Amino acid sequence: MSATSAFAEAVVRVATPLAYAALGELVVERAGIINIGLEGSIIAGAYGALVFAGHGGAIFGVAGALLAGILLATLFAVFVLVLRADQIITGTAISMLALGTTGALYQTMYGSVGAALTTPTFAPMVIPGLSSLPVVGRALFAQPVMTYPLYLLFPILAWWLYRTADGLALRAVGEKPSAAAAAGISVSRVQWLALLFGGAMGGLSGATLVLAQAGTFLEGMSAGRGFIAIAIVALGRWTPLGVAGAVLLFGAAGALQFLAQAMAWPIPYSISLATPYVFTLVVLAVARGRAVAPVALGAHRE
Amino acid sequence: MTKSLGFLLGTMALMIFGGCAGSERGVAFRVALLTPGPITDQSWNSAAYAGLMRIKDSLGAQVSHIQTKTPAEFDENFRQYGASGYSLVFGHGFEFQEAAARVSPEYPNTIYVTTGGISMGKNLASMSFSFDEPSFLAGMIAASVSKSDIVGCLGGTELPPVKASFLAFRAGVHAVKPRATVITAFIGNWDDAAAGKEQALAQIGRGVDVIFQNADAAGLGVFQAARDSKSVYVVGSNSNQNEVAPRVTLGSVVIDLPHAFITVAREVKAKTFQARVIQFNTRSAVVRWVPNPATASLLSARAISMVDSVRATMLAGHFSLPAGR
Repeated sequence: MSATSAFAEAVVRVATPLAYAALGELVVERAGIINIGLEGSIIAGAYGALVFAGHGGAIFGVAGALLAGILLATLFAVFVLVLRADQIITGTAISMLALGTTGALYQTMYGSVGAALTTPTFAPMVIPGLSSLPVVGRALFAQPVMTYPLYLLFPILAWWLYRTADGLALRAVGEKPSAAAAAGISVSRVQWLALLFGGAMGGLSGATLVLAQAGTFLEGMSAGRGFIAIAIVALGRWTPLGVAGAVLLFGAAGALQFLAQAMAWPIPYSISLATPYVFTLVVLAVARGRAVAPVALGAHRE
Repeated sequence: MTKSLGFLLGTMALMIFGGCAGSERGVAFRVALLTPGPITDQSWNSAAYAGLMRIKDSLGAQVSHIQTKTPAEFDENFRQYGASGYSLVFGHGFEFQEAAARVSPEYPNTIYVTTGGISMGKNLASMSFSFDEPSFLAGMIAASVSKSDIVGCLGGTELPPVKASFLAFRAGVHAVKPRATVITAFIGNWDDAAAGKEQALAQIGRGVDVIFQNADAAGLGVFQAARDSKSVYVVGSNSNQNEVAPRVTLGSVVIDLPHAFITVAREVKAKTFQARVIQFNTRSAVVRWVPNPATASLLSARAISMVDSVRATMLAGHFSLPAGR
């Protein structure tokens, strides 16, 4: 296995959980909502994956992650869409609630000094033919099965968003909800569906961490990925292809810092840990002036 | 969150009933623990919690535990316990030293002890562990088992005790194989198991076949990486981690934290405690190398006898680390 190929594989592994989370948040933000509670959906998804996979295997774990992610998003939607609470405050509260609750549940269900739980995991699924492509073959096509749906989700979302009436409705809600409502679109229905989709994707992000990577659940294992995903959406300029590119950029920056330490390059480790964030700042600075955030993003509506 | 809330309610109750509690001062022996991470990490924090439970069971103490999230919470929680009249508060880690030094003068009736570190004050002490001795033995074992002669160290963040342990490990490796390469990496936190696994895979990609992990919860990802790879082995730390992944674990560099905790708590309860830096080493059996029987067949008789003879010098108190390269 060449060093380049190993690096490319690491890029895709680091990017996968971020990709799900960012994809979900992209849809949510295009509906004019910013869900800081995404981190909560990820950790809840990770916990759901652990509990369900323990009962019925990895596939069942994915279902558990979806349910848990959606549950958290529902909570957010009730507060924000029904009770009209502030989005940022609600999102922050939900992230903290989920981090605390999953920790407490884990200790209650599995003992405070915990057994070293190992869950059933997805082994890498090598796709014959495609995985023999040079450099990127193994990186893209010898991954755990959790990675593959993303290759379809991004193009489908790009098509759906710009080529269908429903996609137009979603964008209209994010740009000018009053006009969307006047055109007969149910703003709250669109936002509800967007949030539930975002929660499901957050759940899959958590499922990836548990079922395809760590093979166990740990308190706080989401480790800020929800917040990074929100930054990725902005970096990707709120478009599916932009977000896909930004996710890979983050994956590359993450993999690069692992490589830098493993190769003992003479860089202080704290500097290499900062690379993904330095990348973000550089890209934001270079791409400045073309910000295309949904106009009504985060707006408080009565 | 739930724990903090419970604590808050407890504190409020104490404030309300403070009058009654005051007259019974000294009756209840109360001990608190602050950990920097989750007590389910099978490592540093799990062992501390086990220590707290032993204090509860053996000394009949009332105990309380809080998992701190950020350093800003260290001071606050130290203060809360001081204000509620706890006899003994453990700050579980080198990183708690400064907060303990700041808060301890305000609550002279509470004894603050940090696990790791060298702080000392009127009611401030620290436990210092000669973690370097078993780390050196682990390095000798790792070098003996390695076929590629490249071994790795993987830590959470670059805390001085972790660094010192890695240096001792490296010295142990070089004592057996002077030309072996030792790669050191840090994850940047102690929780992100996926990042721990990825960092381990990067080392394995480089040719590393034995990894000494000291990353608490994030370190569990290192065991997973070894499970997924062929003939890669892990050395555990802090707790006995041999059961975490028996097939791929060579052994663990263990701190018997429950033993250390109860030693201190006994003195505090008996009011014989003297503020000092409390040293625990191989001779006190608090730090030790615990081999994993499941992988013992990987070691040659020569390697075992080498390790045994070095351990004998440690037990005799004659061991000192060779000068680093």
